[in-house]
Amino acid sequence: MIEFDNVSKRYPDSGEALSEVSFSLQRGELAFLTGHSGAGKTTLLRLIAALERPSRGDILLDGISIKGLRKRQIPYLRRKLGLIFQDYRLLNHLSVFDNVALPLEIMGHHPDDITRRVRAALDKVGLLKKEKRLPLALSGGEQQRVGIARAIVHKPPLILADEPTGNLDPDLAEEIMRMFRDFNDVGVTLLIASHDQQLVQRFSRRTLRLDHGKLTEGGFNDA
Amino acid sequence: MRNNSSSKGRPGPFRQPLSQKIRWSVRLKTYALAHLHSLQGSFLRIWETPIASSLTILVVAIALALPASFHALIQNARLPIEALQTTSHISLFLKPEITNEAARRLTEKLGGFPLILGTQILTKEDGLRELIAYSGFADALSALHGNPLPAVILVRPRMTDAAAVTLLLDELRRLSEADHVQFDDEWLKKLRAILAIAERCIVAFSILLGFGVVFIVGNTIRLELQSRLEEIAVNKMLGATDHFIRRPFIHSGFWYAFLGALMAWLVANLLILGIQSPANELAELYGSPYRLAYLDLRGTALLMGSAIVLGIVGAFIVVNHFLKDLEPL
Repeated sequence: MIEFDNVSKRYPDSGEALSEVSFSLQRGELAFLTGHSGAGKTTLLRLIAALERPSRGDILLDGISIKGLRKRQIPYLRRKLGLIFQDYRLLNHLSVFDNVALPLEIMGHHPDDITRRVRAALDKVGLLKKEKRLPLALSGGEQQRVGIARAIVHKPPLILADEPTGNLDPDLAEEIMRMFRDFNDVGVTLLIASHDQQLVQRFSRRTLRLDHGKLTEGGFNDA
Repeated sequence: MRNNSSSKGRPGPFRQPLSQKIRWSVRLKTYALAHLHSLQGSFLRIWETPIASSLTILVVAIALALPASFHALIQNARLPIEALQTTSHISLFLKPEITNEAARRLTEKLGGFPLILGTQILTKEDGLRELIAYSGFADALSALHGNPLPAVILVRPRMTDAAAVTLLLDELRRLSEADHVQFDDEWLKKLRAILAIAERCIVAFSILLGFGVVFIVGNTIRLELQSRLEEIAVNKMLGATDHFIRRPFIHSGFWYAFLGALMAWLVANLLILGIQSPANELAELYGSPYRLAYLDLRGTALLMGSAIVLGIVGAFIVVNHFLKDLEPL
């Protein structure tokens, strides 16, 4: 589903964030992306969502080159992704319900359809009773679950999570990881960036390790 | 290892169209609903920030009220001037040897001309009486032997545009009885020229102030964009098209311009209301039925239409520039 072909990303002020990264991820896989902070995990995820463009190399999604995408095609690529962020990126002036509804509104769903799907997503993360609250009135774990509901509400085939448990205590982190495993059980592909070694090891799934922008484990050489 | 997921038989999800099987009638309805929702949302945002918004609307209103008021005033000046034009006539001075009898026949003959609306004869005696009555040379004139004045036929042209009048003048000059033909419209021409200059000035002025409206609305939208940067970034990451991001801001631009134009319309008409009573008094002094008119339908439509276009253009330019800066997001 995802194929990295010798991808490098260089930022003008901070140098090379990724160098010559190659790997592929199959449909239905759940893989972890680990490494110290600043190893390039976020950059790698941002490249898949076309939030950044690679300096060299190419990324293929089902064989479609991201480099070859025209600017106006990129929104439609992103609609097939579920993005989850460490800092949640919720809109604090909107209710929980409206935050989760955002992807569907963007895709132009009918309001009735939106209500039904948002409720289903909130139910899945156990926040149905708090749909009218504002995000800042919720705990960190609850806010992250709102973020997850927003990422799954449009049933994307691929979920990219950037340190989804970074701000949560171990119990909550475990709970969220189990939620991800449930999504994977129904066929969703997930790539989860995390520096929490213990958590990653406990789930014993394929692990891609980044070190100073280089893929040292989980790539083509030792997979 | 490097096999594609498509090797499993069906194409991978990124090769499939978005899994939305929505009938396009529903899609259209949803789209219209989203627009309405956004239009409403933009209005509410303006409503919720009354001070900042009313400043923008006020500046837009002032920029639009100036040309709108001038336009209304010029329209008002044009009406009585055109009315003057229709009362003007050509004086056809006949040769001195033409008798009153011959002059009467000619008057009747001219009355049938297609370019002529009406004719009126001033016989030699009429002319003398008028001269005695109005010139103050009564004594000197009575000392004259006989009547030196020619008969005059007053001709009212049917059409008052320059080309028709010139044609008529040539025709009258060719008459064998004609001595001198006079159409005193120089002052009218001058007045019209002045009006034309004033109108041109207003057009130039309007264009300049129109740019002003674009900039004012654009600047307000730019501030709005900056304060909603996070929201825009999140929307983009969730797959919003530029069109989706642009929509509420275009609607904001629409509202600023529309409300500004509404206020400008009010200002222009209040101005007319203010000068109405002295103007009507003046008209009455001249015995004219003419009354000052408010901004007409065409002027109102022009004001509203151009304001809305300018507001939307201003918003469009700024949002596009902003989105370009956000790339590759």
